[in-house]
Amino acid sequence: MTLTPYSRPLTAEDAAHLLRRTSFGATDAQIRVLVGSDARTVARTLLSFDDAVAPNNPFDPAQAAAPGAGLQLIRARWLFEMLYGPHPLRERLTLLWSNHFVVGTDKVKNVPALTEYLSVLRKHAATPSFSAFALDVARTPAMLRYLDNDQNRNGKPNENFSRELLELFTTGIGNYTEDDVKEGARALSGWTFTGGRGNQKYLEASKFVFNPKQHDNGRKTYLGKTGNLTGEDVLALAAGHPATAVFVARKLHRAFVADAPAEAAVKGSAETFARTGGNIRAVLEELLSSEAFYASRAAVIRGPVDFIAAAVRSFGSPKMEPKQLLNLVQTAGRMGQLLLQPDTVKGWDGGREWINDTTLLGRMQLAAALSLGANAPTLDTPPTPLALLGTERAATAAALNGLSAKQRTYLMLISPEFQLA
Amino acid sequence: MPLDRRDFLKYSALAVAATSGMPGFLARAATQATGQKTLVVIQLTGGNDGLNTLIPYSNGAYYAARPTIAIPKKDVLTLGPDLGMHPSLKPLMGLWDAGQLAWMENIGYPNPNRSHFASMAIWHTADPTQAQAEGWIGRIAEKIGDPFCASNIGSSTPQALRAAEFSLPSIDAVDNFQVKLPAGLEGAFGAMLDAPRSGEADYLVRATRQMMSNTQKVQANVGKYKAGATYPEGKFATQLKDAARLIASGTGQRILYVSLGGFDTHAGQRGEQDELLATLASGLAAFQTDLERQGVAERVVVMGFSEFGRRVAENDSAGTDHGQGSVMFALGKGVKGGIHGDSPDLEDLSLGDIKYKQDFRGVYAGALTGWLGLNARDILGGDFKGPQWLA
Repeated sequence: MTLTPYSRPLTAEDAAHLLRRTSFGATDAQIRVLVGSDARTVARTLLSFDDAVAPNNPFDPAQAAAPGAGLQLIRARWLFEMLYGPHPLRERLTLLWSNHFVVGTDKVKNVPALTEYLSVLRKHAATPSFSAFALDVARTPAMLRYLDNDQNRNGKPNENFSRELLELFTTGIGNYTEDDVKEGARALSGWTFTGGRGNQKYLEASKFVFNPKQHDNGRKTYLGKTGNLTGEDVLALAAGHPATAVFVARKLHRAFVADAPAEAAVKGSAETFARTGGNIRAVLEELLSSEAFYASRAAVIRGPVDFIAAAVRSFGSPKMEPKQLLNLVQTAGRMGQLLLQPDTVKGWDGGREWINDTTLLGRMQLAAALSLGANAPTLDTPPTPLALLGTERAATAAALNGLSAKQRTYLMLISPEFQLA
Repeated sequence: MPLDRRDFLKYSALAVAATSGMPGFLARAATQATGQKTLVVIQLTGGNDGLNTLIPYSNGAYYAARPTIAIPKKDVLTLGPDLGMHPSLKPLMGLWDAGQLAWMENIGYPNPNRSHFASMAIWHTADPTQAQAEGWIGRIAEKIGDPFCASNIGSSTPQALRAAEFSLPSIDAVDNFQVKLPAGLEGAFGAMLDAPRSGEADYLVRATRQMMSNTQKVQANVGKYKAGATYPEGKFATQLKDAARLIASGTGQRILYVSLGGFDTHAGQRGEQDELLATLASGLAAFQTDLERQGVAERVVVMGFSEFGRRVAENDSAGTDHGQGSVMFALGKGVKGGIHGDSPDLEDLSLGDIKYKQDFRGVYAGALTGWLGLNARDILGGDFKGPQWLA
């Protein structure tokens, strides 16, 4: 079963829905331009991004004077791209993949390694081959370091990466045995990197190397296949496992359809994944032009980074001072999402877990700073209910009567409607 | 006029139930008696290595399995003929000497799971079959009908504190835990929340209303507190200080939850775990001193756990991989000090790991029944025997 296509021309609310899910958010004018378009054509256009980046990004991590500053600059450079870049869907997907193939700056602090990791995620954001993506990311020094595969040696395995590869990156739990974890580690032994080690060398580049002396050349059995398996074999077997199609499809549905996705629709995307050999672009093109996608409104609780990017993009991406942008990175952290540093390798669960007393207070403070605050960005045109709430008939609309433009913006930003996509 | 706890619950629960359709159990809150005792749960995230925490220093097999990372006998803080503590735990020796520190050995559960997330979920839900989505503390909130009976100190709510319909509060920093609505917007804000909604939008409105009542409650009380100890630097100690502040000012939570992460020591374990245990011990020692000065030490116990222990044999990265059985600890004046359980058997392992001999749910049952005066069976869904760790 594949997904049923959405066959009607897009209305303004359809277009607002599409752009809040795929582009963080958009202005009234950007939304209205899509009215009357065909869903498939729009999805294809959104997905046909190149490697163009936002001009004049003020943040250059290669200039960092200390390891901590390097991390802040990497985060700020990325946030700038989300707020001002020409391809918000590419950045939305990069954020999704950074929460799938997780590395954490609690352990990885090397600037070139993190920059390379992000560029691998961007390059494969809508990859035609999930397998090739998994292999590329597994060989980044950032991942090798984060999950200790650089320490995985013949006869003395370190299972950390091998376990998470199955549990979190490909098949998901319940589809492999403890023996698969151990055998996978043997096959991955000898994958390490050179350069860029130690806190003092935070600006030194590093590079993947295969060290044959530390590779276990013996027979292994992994996910039912036996032979002198290599790391490449293990990545291909895990990425190509039938359970991986469902596991990855569910992640995509959680990001783009609903916090609690319907399993039947997930299965539809999983079949497309399997049929196309793990072509993420094909899966997404079908998904973003499906009935299931357009029928599911206000079903994804926006995470902190999404909240920030949605507000700024709905404002028309007004200019902000570098210091303000650095503050936004920290604010997202206080609201529970410091870029590149989830609490664990599992990443952020999202959904209702974004919401608790402290994070709700953080959202209210941030909304005030972006609308009523002394340093709030200056807007030529105030954002409309369609841009911020996704609809012109929102329950919140009546409460806005008699307020100033800035007050209206504030109240809309703290409304449940804005906090949902 | 400050509200007392009972008035507050009555007010907030009725207001919330009347205006937002909060689950019925919240409306019952006002009818429930509240206890005076508080349990502080400490979560060591990542899988703390129990063998290098409570060290079987007289066992040759321990030193044979860990040529690089074993704690040399001369450095062990001796507690008995077989076991002693990691030297970083020195700040807790005073509590041990006073009989206020308990260690529980070989703790685990049937069919151990070596995934961080699955195992943590098992500890959070107290359900090794992983069938339950609600946390054990969330279930307490439902049973006693009190939406404010527990709080997490931190920015994200652990599964342990999740109930069916919502999460118990997370308080990141007590001083910032208040709503500051811009002037002139009170009416519009109320009207915005009052609009009819369903699904996730309704959930967000309910969460917002609950947050508003929780913040009012906390701010009405916390001004009274003045720290009675010098806490070390760092987030963990700061969170313990906030916990002491909430307890001393009588905000009324029965359970407070604090986490310390970073225990996933696959490589270079000595440096990492030594520092973490020092953070743990110095923070807890200050916390206990503070509680004494506040005059509330009699009514607080601390119970600590990690999602699993680690492999007995070290790996080639001077670290250890995920294991099974491990240790728990408890401290406070209400605790029966000592070591509860035997020194781990290093000759009889399960896949290279320590076998569990005591079910963690038995330790929880002690906290629930013996300390909080609740029916453990109702909350844990069964009768679990455990060590007698309470005085």
